[in-house]
Amino acid sequence: MVALPGRRRSRDPLAAEDAVAGWLFILPAVAIVGTFILWPILQVFWLSFHEWSVITPERPWVGLDNYRDLFNDADFQLALRNTIWFALGVVPTQTVLGLILAVLANQKIRGRSFFRTAFYFPSISSSVVISIIFLWLYAQRGLINFVLQKMGFPTPQPPWLSNPRGVVEMALNAVGIESVSVWLAGPSVALLSIMMMNIWTTMGTMMVVFLAGLQDIPGDVYEAASIDGASRRQQFFDITVPMLRPVIFFVLTLGFIGTFQVFDQIFVMTSGGPAKSTITLGYLIYQQGFGNFAMGYAAAIAVVLFAIIMSIFLIQRRILGRAD
Amino acid sequence: MSGNAGSRLVDRRSFVKGSAAGLAAAAAWASYLRETSAIAAQASGEVRLTGQTASPEEEELLRQVLDTFAEQFPDITVNYEPVPSDYLIKLQTDIAAGNAADVFYVGNEWAQDFMSRGVLLAIDDYMEADGVTADQFYENLINAYTWEGQTYGLPKDWSPLGMVYDPAVLESAGVSGPPTTWEELRTAAEAIVESTGQPALALEAAFDRFILFLYQAGGNVTNEDVTEVTLGDDATREALDMYYGLYADGLSATSADVGGQWPGDAFAQGLVPIVFEGNWMFPFLNTNAPDKEYGIAELPAGPAGKGTPAFTNSYSIFYQSQNPDAAWTLVNYLTGAEGMLTWTSLGLAMPARPGIADQWLEIFPEREPYLASGEYATAVQYGPGGQQFAEDANSVLQLLYAGEIDTTEAQTRLVEAAENALDLG
Repeated sequence: MVALPGRRRSRDPLAAEDAVAGWLFILPAVAIVGTFILWPILQVFWLSFHEWSVITPERPWVGLDNYRDLFNDADFQLALRNTIWFALGVVPTQTVLGLILAVLANQKIRGRSFFRTAFYFPSISSSVVISIIFLWLYAQRGLINFVLQKMGFPTPQPPWLSNPRGVVEMALNAVGIESVSVWLAGPSVALLSIMMMNIWTTMGTMMVVFLAGLQDIPGDVYEAASIDGASRRQQFFDITVPMLRPVIFFVLTLGFIGTFQVFDQIFVMTSGGPAKSTITLGYLIYQQGFGNFAMGYAAAIAVVLFAIIMSIFLIQRRILGRAD
Repeated sequence: MSGNAGSRLVDRRSFVKGSAAGLAAAAAWASYLRETSAIAAQASGEVRLTGQTASPEEEELLRQVLDTFAEQFPDITVNYEPVPSDYLIKLQTDIAAGNAADVFYVGNEWAQDFMSRGVLLAIDDYMEADGVTADQFYENLINAYTWEGQTYGLPKDWSPLGMVYDPAVLESAGVSGPPTTWEELRTAAEAIVESTGQPALALEAAFDRFILFLYQAGGNVTNEDVTEVTLGDDATREALDMYYGLYADGLSATSADVGGQWPGDAFAQGLVPIVFEGNWMFPFLNTNAPDKEYGIAELPAGPAGKGTPAFTNSYSIFYQSQNPDAAWTLVNYLTGAEGMLTWTSLGLAMPARPGIADQWLEIFPEREPYLASGEYATAVQYGPGGQQFAEDANSVLQLLYAGEIDTTEAQTRLVEAAENALDLG
């Protein structure tokens, strides 16, 4: 913490000098963060109360109109629904898979560093490049359909990324239950395809975080447990998982922030289609701001997205953060 | 098949030969077209020009045209800033930053959003001073850049959708020539599906493809003044039945269904024998499937006669341009007979001036069916808010294709989409 220069000067002249030096040292960082992060964030809040077409200089004040419009906007509700499905599908899966991979890659097995690198590789690759590769994999005559056909499984029609049908609805229809509500139709086949790719990409990141957490658990705890006769399974659930609690909190937080903001993969792979079934909040902001000349409205969506992510973070901290 | 009017077969060799001969003709024509401009006499200084380029060849060709311009107008310096992708986004942020180029492309689909917000400079006075009149351009193209009686850009080129087909497949299916009506299209498609087991036609679930059936049925999105949505009428119904009927019966498929990137690609790969695409398809085809034989015909006519959507870009001037005189001189040159002919000799699109159509046809004789549709093609425009409408309408058609809704529901939703998104004056 930097001391306030004015108050302390009389008592300790050196403290004032320290403060000035301190401010000078962090000035470049403050200037950069302020100009490129804080200022734009404040602008987004300010813009969300205005109407702005981007291409005209006029930005009339519209009060809460943008926010009021959100509640009647079918696209917003759809985007919110898609985003929630996306987060609920991706975050738990990538967390569990990341943990399993970390435990496996933490064993003393041959080629351990190879597996660690291989699993982490997707995370450090460009998301656009991965998206393009998966475009090919998911194509009608792509590798995934080829393998499915060879193994005698049916392939989705229309193909993966062009299929707007809800997967939960399809499953229910298959067992004879018709017409479920839109909220229960589940993510579309297209969205599910992107979710699977996202899980594959991010579980390596989560694995690395979990690996770091695993190294922090002292070996003598496991030793004591095995002397007491605890099985490997008991050790995992009663020692590893509880001791990883802060790490799990961190991974879940990262996961929810990442999934609620998902944009690049949607942009590259589907542009929100088919039938808007892959429109997420992040993509809707882009589409409204740059495709529909409604930057003020886009800003309002961004503020709502910020509020959602913030509340998820706070709720998580209440539930998981208490152990610290 | 050769006896069929309005369709021609081309192989690559005659295409290349034709192009070379045509280019020579174009150069000769251009040499006696030099004209002096009233405004150009005083204009000088720097002009920034920006536009979307789909390929390096396109950029290279425009640079050549600009070199010729520099020779004729040595006092004007043109700074050309090509944008390879996400052009509209780049343009919007440039405008917001007060940093937009003096001259830029404006696409027909979003022209009204720009004109209605006063972002473009009205050029009527310039046109009058230099003797440029609206009737030198195809009426429906220049109308796309007219707003409340004023002109905000001149079309630089255009393309309609036409029919490109594989003659060998049609022949082996016993189809005597490219279909000319909806009935013939269905019959031909059925015969092709019967003979090849593949869909006959690649048709995307996209409103700017559906719209060709809408025009052919005599319908449109709104009335002419954009005050009332007309998608609820019988013409829309007929168009939807025809369009979806082809898909539902397995006669058409999307390019994704058959494993292509886009219909032109599906055709190049031999996945479908018929596509409805624009002139931009041919440079792609010549690169990716140089040995493929193809025929070109006008789109089949519907119950209300012939119809096809037209896609165009204008050269427009930014309303805050610091050098509007020089900007106009550039626009006038690029959309003038000489500049336009050189530019369109790439074959991506056709001249927007009917006066030089014959010269262009000497370069690309096989494209005559495309040119012929200049008489009835409609520039695709839905009014301000059209971008959002297109987004919503595509979504409705994708739901229809996925079998989530039927044509009746699709029509209701299209009307809703138009009423919600469009700014109905």
